[in-house]
This record gives sequence, structure tokens and C-alpha cells, in this order.
Amino acid sequence: MTNEEIWQSVLSQIQLNISPANFATWFANTAISSVEEGLVVVSVPNSFSKEWMEQKYHKDILKIIKSIDENIKDIKYIVNPINTKIPTKKTIKKEKEEVVEQLGFSELEVDKETNLNPKYNFNNFIIGPFNEVAYAAAMSIVEEPGKNYNPLFIYGGVGLGKTHLMQAIGNKIKEDFPDKKIRYVPAERLISKIVNAIRSQSIEDLKKNLREIDVLIIDDIQFLAGKDKTQEEFFHTFNSLYQKNKQIILSSDRHPDNIPAITERLKSRFNGGMIADINMPDYETRLAILTQKAEEKNIGVPQDVLEYIANNVQKNIRELESSISRLAICKKTNGNKTINIDDAKKLLKNIIVSPNKITNYKKIVESIHSFYDISSNNMFLTSRKKEYARPRQIAMYLLKKELKMSYSEIGRKFGGKDHTTVMHACQLIENSYEENDKTRQEIDLILQRIYSK
Amino acid sequence: MNFTILAKELKKGLGFTEKITGKNLTLPILNNLLIESLPNFIKISSTDLEVGIEWWGPCKTEKEGSVVVPAKFLSQLAGTLPEEKINIKNKGNTLLIEGKNIKTQIKGFSSDDFPIIPKFLKDIYIEMEGKKLKEGLSSVVDMVSVSQVKPEISGVYFSFNKGSIKLVATDSFRLAEKTIKDDIKNLFEKEINFILPQKTTKELINILPEEEGKKIRIYFSESQVMFETFLPNSTHSEINLVSRQIDGEYPSYEEIIPKTSKTKIILNKDEFVKQIKMAGLFGGKTSEVLIKVGEKDIEIKSQDDEIGESELSMPAITEGEGTKVSFNYRFILDALVNIKSSEISFEIQGNDGPALIKPVGDTSYLYVVMPIRI
Repeated sequence: MTNEEIWQSVLSQIQLNISPANFATWFANTAISSVEEGLVVVSVPNSFSKEWMEQKYHKDILKIIKSIDENIKDIKYIVNPINTKIPTKKTIKKEKEEVVEQLGFSELEVDKETNLNPKYNFNNFIIGPFNEVAYAAAMSIVEEPGKNYNPLFIYGGVGLGKTHLMQAIGNKIKEDFPDKKIRYVPAERLISKIVNAIRSQSIEDLKKNLREIDVLIIDDIQFLAGKDKTQEEFFHTFNSLYQKNKQIILSSDRHPDNIPAITERLKSRFNGGMIADINMPDYETRLAILTQKAEEKNIGVPQDVLEYIANNVQKNIRELESSISRLAICKKTNGNKTINIDDAKKLLKNIIVSPNKITNYKKIVESIHSFYDISSNNMFLTSRKKEYARPRQIAMYLLKKELKMSYSEIGRKFGGKDHTTVMHACQLIENSYEENDKTRQEIDLILQRIYSK
Repeated sequence: MNFTILAKELKKGLGFTEKITGKNLTLPILNNLLIESLPNFIKISSTDLEVGIEWWGPCKTEKEGSVVVPAKFLSQLAGTLPEEKINIKNKGNTLLIEGKNIKTQIKGFSSDDFPIIPKFLKDIYIEMEGKKLKEGLSSVVDMVSVSQVKPEISGVYFSFNKGSIKLVATDSFRLAEKTIKDDIKNLFEKEINFILPQKTTKELINILPEEEGKKIRIYFSESQVMFETFLPNSTHSEINLVSRQIDGEYPSYEEIIPKTSKTKIILNKDEFVKQIKMAGLFGGKTSEVLIKVGEKDIEIKSQDDEIGESELSMPAITEGEGTKVSFNYRFILDALVNIKSSEISFEIQGNDGPALIKPVGDTSYLYVVMPIRI
């Protein structure tokens, strides 16, 4: 007889002797959890049931069990709280979303185990030419994690949906393969975990922990730059997962080759799988995104207003969203009046005529230092080492292009270089910008840094 | 069963125990109180199978025994009793209450069917001042989530460390944390953490002593927790409150508390309370008020299509960048009523990050609130 059958026969006999209410209260969610050497362990949902069983029904239960199995000597009761967790309901979106949105702590939405936020999924992910490669790779990973593209390396600028895509992959895999262990870790968190583990001498536990994962997702991997110990640990984890055909997904704001201060062996591993970039969305996609967002928020926005926004807000998707939110608020406060193009122009002044389009010498130089991870003095030396010369040339190019400084002034800033040297540098970078995709990306990223501060 | 007790004492006991009984249709016995007569003490117990409360009161016992009677009825009756000595005894399942000019009989039930309230090993406990816990809990209990979607946050989180206790509550829109520093005796010799359901917490606040210096003890097991208060000048317990803990792990809430701020303002609390209340009147259905931080003052604006609008301002010491952020005014008031200092600090992270409200010169309380998106 199995445990279940024994307990079933106990229940059916007990039921005859007590009232249905008592039976429902005290015997619901009880079960035999184990039988060992004549000791039966019965799990009960709470301490009240435990007390009640021990004091009121113990004799009866023991008698019935003994009549089934003579070897049973005693019964023990343990409290085993039933999981009262309501199965995570798919949040049913209200027909009309309130325009005013009380923000909540997003940390609480996050799944404790996987660290994934369920709000990121494929249903609200918009696909366009700018991200279709990454999306296609994601879809093939979701079908067979660890098989096709391993590792998947996604890169692109801020606010273009890298995190969304990665978390959506994680969420989808979790849905389709509930047994797989998935873990999403921002690189910063990984670093602090490793630092803490070293301090508390529990690095082995952490290693073990990381190596049991089936799908490891690391966001903003470029933060590992210069963190040698973390890189080393990550390298070993990477290898061990990779050998076991576990899926690894990484993201960064730039191509692996452009991440400074990352060891070659890591770089080559990043390059070993699929590298997919996410670009700025084109005009048509921006318009599609705006249309969808406007529908989600249920505000009727005339086509010409949407076109105006799509034309003028080009930087990233996050800004597109915030433009729509602004329109929604304006519409609400003005008593549901339809927004015309002039209102939109006024409302979106802040976003479109970005006030931080102004920059200065210091900002540009600092951004270059941090981008290439070089110390401030080295760039101004006359060193011809490649790692200093190129940032120096780019700095000259940007100073000319963004600040319209004169060649000779730039030359003076860089330790009295001749204006022709500066001219040569600018020309060189300019040509490279036109012809070489990598250079263009590099410079766009630096520009983004300069203007996002 | 036969004993004599002061009506005042009986009313007190009923006050503590009667609240948690209610209309329980599946198990009607839970709508009753168990009255037991013990040597020198009367004991009244009640439970809803989530919480159990036992109360002891001094009396003159002539004969021991027990009976179960309807809770609501008995407490209504006790409310009308004169302030004098009364005699209580039973005849089978009937309870007889007799005073100078009174003679009543209440039909009850056999005490055999009354649930048994779980017992605790009383050797290991945490001891602390009851009043401090009472005040601490009152300042966070209202922030507990009432929704059961995330059960972990539907209770107050207790975290006992060396020499201090943290009480935390959140409903995912705001979070309150109270730190109590006290001479705490922790015989467990390790950190103890548990989540107490909101309903129990409210009961607990009700039973904790108001007088200063009265100690209480907390007992802890895997799935249950018990709070014990004592009779005046005695080591005998007055009330034992046993509750289930919420099963689950409390979110790592420390991550929510902002460490830096873009804008920091210092405000006179009373003035701010007045203004927020006034602005709140114009907040309409959304309860939204807009706070605009200038260089030496703040403006508080609110408006509703149907009601009208208000524009208020008050002086403030401001630091960092100017900003405009909307909040639910009720959430702000909830923080302010729990702050005793005359000035508060209000730290803002732009219009989509958490804001932090703290009393000035008191690090024991903090309140994090999310803005309304504009």
C-alpha cells in the first residue's frame, strides 16, 4: 500500500465518526509525508491542526493505521504550510489604462529566483529592421536553449531594448521549460557578489551556484572592464557552462572588440557565438512604436502629431514613450481635447530641443578618458602608442566637430602640436567614420556619453 | 466551574479576546470564547485558526472547570454589567452570571470541541519593552499591502538583530522602515526574521502595554510566533497571542531605499502637513499633488476638472537641482503622521524614482514613496 492509500483509508474511516465541518477544518491538506521504521510522519497545514490531531484524534488514527500495517509503532505530526501563493495570474490589463500612473517599486515585481521582471516579454516587444537579427537569434534560443547561438551577445545604445529582449528570452524559456534554472544578473551585481564572496570567503559557494545554472543572462557586461578578478571568475564560469551546453546571453553597449580592459580570452569567447546589434529604429518603426503606445494608453492622437514626434525624437525608444505620456497627461488635464500639432510642439519642446546639446571641452575629454579607460595625462603626452594616439585623434576630431575649435587652438591643448597634425587627425577620423562601421559606432557611443551626462 | 471576578476585569479580558472571533460558517465553534476557571485565575481564549489569543485575569476560584459561549453575545452582555463583583459558574453547557440584582443564563457548548491553541517552549525567547514595539508597529502597519497577490508583503516584516529590531511594511508603492534600539535580550543567539500578517499585527498593537517599562516576550518556532505580556507586578502571563507567520521570503527591501538624491529639501512638518491636506482636497480621484522645488521654497499644486485647483507655497531649504514631481497626497500624509520631529527631510530622485522622507535628527524612521508618473 502506498502512503496515499494508507492515508485515504484513515480519512474514510475517520470521516464516519466526526462532523463534516470538523473533518473539513482539521483534515484538509493533510497527508503522510513519510513512513520509516514504524514511524509515520503526517504533515498538517498549520499548528492548530497539529495540536488538534495530537490531542484529539491521535488514538483513532494510530488504531486505524495499525490495523493496516502492524509494524507501525507511532505517529508524528509536522507542520507543512501549504503554499497559499495564488498562481501568478497573468495581469489582466484593464480595458482603459488610467492615464495617471502610480509608480510601484519595480524591485518587488522581480522573480526572486531568476531575477527576471515579468513585465518584459515578447508580446510587447516591437520588431523592426533595427533589431530583427537580435530578435531572430532570440527566437531560436527560446526554442532550444544552449543549442544554436551560444553565447548570444547583444549590443546597442541606451534605451533601445537590450534589457527588454534579454529578459523576454529568460521569461519565455521559464515559461516553456519550467525546470531550467535561469538567472539574470546585471554585471554590476555580479561584481559586488564576487567582492562580497571574497570578503566572506564563500567564493566556492558562489562558483558552485553559478555553475548550476542552465541559462545565464548578464546585462551590461562592459562594466567588467578593469575588474580583473571578476573577469577571471566569470571566465571560469563561462567555460564551465559553455562546455555543458548551457545557454549564455550577454549584453553590452558596444561590440566586444571595443570594450577596453577586457582580457583577450574573454573577448574571443564573446566573439565565439552570435553577435547581434540593435540599432536606432528607423522612421517607420518609430511611427509604429508610437502608434502602438498611443493605442495602449488609449489616447487618440492625430497622425500628423505622431509623424512629427517620429521625425523629431530620434534618440531612443524610452524618449518616444515619454513623449506619448506627456501627450496623455496634457489630454487629461485639458478635458480630453484632441491634441493638435501646435500643442505637441509646445509640449515636447524639452525632449526635442534637448537642452543638453551644449557641451564643453571638459566633458568631451572626460568622456573619452572613461570610454577608453585611460588616465587623463596619458592622452596629452606625445606618446605614439596606439592606445593613446587613437583616443587623442578622436578627441581632436570631436573638439573640432562639436565645439568648432580652431585647429591651432586644439593643437595648443594637446601639448603644442602643430595645426597640421590636428588637421591630419581630424581628416583621418572623419574618413574612418564614413567608411568604417566600427569607428562610427565607437564615435556615436562617445557622443551619446557626452550628451547624456 | 465557579468563580468570582470584578466586572471590570471581565470586560477587559473580553475586550482583548473577542475581536478576532467572527462569523465563521464552516466551523461555528470559532465564534465562541473558551472560558476556563483555573486556581486563582480565569482564562479566556479565542481563535480564528490563524491567530489565537489567551488572556488570564485574577479572580477568586471556588471550582475549576470550563465552558464555551458565543463571543459577541457575552461581550454585549458584559458591556451592560454594573461595576461590581459578579459570580460566574456553569451548569452543563450553560453559563450562569450572577450579580447583586442580576441573574442570567447563557446557552453554550462543550469545551471539548474548542480548538487547541498551540503551545510554545518557553525557555528561549526575545525580551524587550512592549511600548516601544507598540509604537514602532503603529508607525508601519498601515503601509502593509492589503492585496493577497504577493503574500510575502501582506504582513509586517520583523527582523531582530543584535540590539535592534527593524519593522518593515510595504505595499509596493511605498515602504516604511522603523528601527527600534532597545536593550533587547535575545536568547536565540541568532538573527530572527519573520513576517506577521497584518490582521495579527493590528491585534498585537491592541494587546501590547501602553505603560513604559513593561517587558514583553516573543517566542518563535518554524511556522508560528507568540507574543506574551505579563500581569502587573507578576511573572504570570496576562496575554499570549499566537499567530501563524506568512510563509515566504520578504523581498530584499534594502535595495529599494535610495542611497543618493538629486534634490533634497528640509521642511517644517506641521506647515507641510497643512499644505498637503489642503492640496489633497483638490487632488480629485487620483489624489495627485504636484510638488515643484524652487531655490528657497516649494510650490504645491493640485487640480481637478470638476473641483477646481489650488496653488500653495512654503519656504524650504533646498539642495540639488530644481524639480517637479507628482505624488499621491495620502501616501505623503501617511509618512508625516508617523514623524514626531518638527522638521522633515524630503529627498527626491526625479519624477520616476523613489523619494525618501525622514524626520530630521532621527534615523529610526524612514519612508520611501514612488511618484505618480507625469
